[in-house]
Amino acid sequence: MADREVDQQLVERVQRGDKHAFDLLVSKYQRKLGRLISRFVRDPAEAEDVTQDAFIKAYRALPGFRGESAFYTWLYRIGINTAKNHLLANKRRTPTNTPFDAEEAESFEDAGLLREVNTPENELMSKQVVDVVQASLQQLPEDLRSALTLREIEGLSYEEIASVMNCPIGTVRSRIFRAREAVAENLRPLLETSKGNRW
Amino acid sequence: MKQEISVLMDGELFEDEAGSLLNRIEHGSELHRDWEIYHLIGDVLRQPDHIHSDLSAKVRERMRDEPTVLAPRVHAVKQKMRTFALSAAASLSAVGVVAWMSMQISPEAAPNMAMQQNVARPVNVKIQPKSNDYLMAHQEFSPSTDMNGGASYIRTVSYRPDEK
Repeated sequence: MADREVDQQLVERVQRGDKHAFDLLVSKYQRKLGRLISRFVRDPAEAEDVTQDAFIKAYRALPGFRGESAFYTWLYRIGINTAKNHLLANKRRTPTNTPFDAEEAESFEDAGLLREVNTPENELMSKQVVDVVQASLQQLPEDLRSALTLREIEGLSYEEIASVMNCPIGTVRSRIFRAREAVAENLRPLLETSKGNRW
Repeated sequence: MKQEISVLMDGELFEDEAGSLLNRIEHGSELHRDWEIYHLIGDVLRQPDHIHSDLSAKVRERMRDEPTVLAPRVHAVKQKMRTFALSAAASLSAVGVVAWMSMQISPEAAPNMAMQQNVARPVNVKIQPKSNDYLMAHQEFSPSTDMNGGASYIRTVSYRPDEK
């Protein structure tokens, strides 16, 4: 079941009145959408509010979503429109002169700009989260690290990873899970001790 | 179970397994948390410069005031479309088969078949002499004509304009 089909299944659950399914979509896309919106709305607190607004608008519009495009493309479009409307309401110009579409947004890379998004109180926590994940990745055995990197960063399928690593697909499945779980084990104590905001 | 979540988020789980697993993730707080953390790890690896706190709790809070959305079931619509498409395909196939079968009977073959039918077969029927009168008298009611019996119900009449 492809990733897009998982989204579609969650969307259909929401359309049948299951609000919990929308939680899973929010968990999955919140940072990608937040990153996109921060391109338009520079103020971190405002960007967070606009991201929440975009999710609420998406939830209200979901009955009309027929799955003709991927859910994330549709969601990103709502995110861009919400951000632009926010700027218009505050009579500010969109910080880009060129047209900006959802697909372009996916490949957007601008680390310097994005650093501004985190509020000061969250800055330390985000740095710690990143440090723990990256340190945990480095501590992993080579085969686990390669499997997770090929999946998460390169976006390869299990079949492609099996071919690259010259091992059965079942081994790929197991290696990726063990890698994720090892990183998660190191991350959980940090996330549980964070006060206020949940991570 | 955790491994299944890992496989699901990579889009590699079978559809029948995915449905029940999603149910369990939705309603099990531990599994839901694993889903969140695995996605956080992926986001950190892909975009380490843009990691922020979890918004889902805030979105969930705001959604409490939102009416539950309901939409026509896409599956039902798809099912109807599929049924219609299958019916149309079956009808077209039937028409195709009939057309194909009629094409197999070539124009040359038809006279041959007719000729075969016209080959006279000697029939040796002995008619009782008593029957002859009866048959002669009722010949006009016999349906064994080229008009498949219609002639027996036809009467020939003539009319002259000068006759009154």
